[in-house]
Amino acid sequence: MHLDYRLSEDWDENSTNLAAADETDLRYYAATGDVILRQDQSDLSARWGWIPLIDFALALRKIAEALAVTEGNETFEFTESDATLRFERRGQEIIVRGSYASGEITVSFTEFSEQAREFARRLDAELRAKCPELGRNSAYQDFRLSGLSP
Amino acid sequence: MPAAWIAVGIILFGVWCAWPQDAPVGSPGQVVVTQRAIRHIEDRHWPDSPAQGAGKFASGITEDSLRQLVNEAVAHGRVRHNTNGRPGQIYEFDFGHPIGIAIDGRPAYRLRVVVNKWNQLVTAFPF
Repeated sequence: MHLDYRLSEDWDENSTNLAAADETDLRYYAATGDVILRQDQSDLSARWGWIPLIDFALALRKIAEALAVTEGNETFEFTESDATLRFERRGQEIIVRGSYASGEITVSFTEFSEQAREFARRLDAELRAKCPELGRNSAYQDFRLSGLSP
Repeated sequence: MPAAWIAVGIILFGVWCAWPQDAPVGSPGQVVVTQRAIRHIEDRHWPDSPAQGAGKFASGITEDSLRQLVNEAVAHGRVRHNTNGRPGQIYEFDFGHPIGIAIDGRPAYRLRVVVNKWNQLVTAFPF
């Protein structure tokens, strides 16, 4: 599974006071871009440019945490449409399907957790380098993007 | 005794800090629509918005008609907690007639309204 992101060039980090942005600002308006999610011929990427990547990283971590303790399904709802990503745990595997694209991705739960953690860590590092004021934002600090593992 | 007053002061300061400083707070059933939310919705969901993968309002939508749609959805729609650990609530209402276009290009009859924990509008889109 290849899981990655691309910050949108349209996101203007100066449009929001990132030092003072609250949780909703950070999860809906900040650090928007594309999510790349694919495996072999299956491509569930969402290249819409507006996906709030901090929110995506946090949601992915929450989904991994939920599926770590029990089999079942977890759904990610995109913030600006009714599109969803559905994560189903079967045994030691996770099956991912998108409502907006055909195909599915099967990956071990261990790899899924590691990739979710790595996604958050890379995003955190890039955002802190690009926007140092986030380091003064208590809401952002509370997310602990690099610090918690599923 | 002074220690008690200091404790009271710390608590009140904490409450003041936690309260939104620059926008009004809506009461239950009443959503506060900020200009920022309007701009966000125009950027993503207005008929001429280039944003892909996002529902679009029908042509002719105005700021006033958007407010009306939002108020109707909040007054009569189904409400649920936001998902994936996001704060706030989601309201969804089926208007029974098209209000826009869904991401698959079909007519959209429903509106999703997202509000934060202070009942301020975050986003709204047809689906």
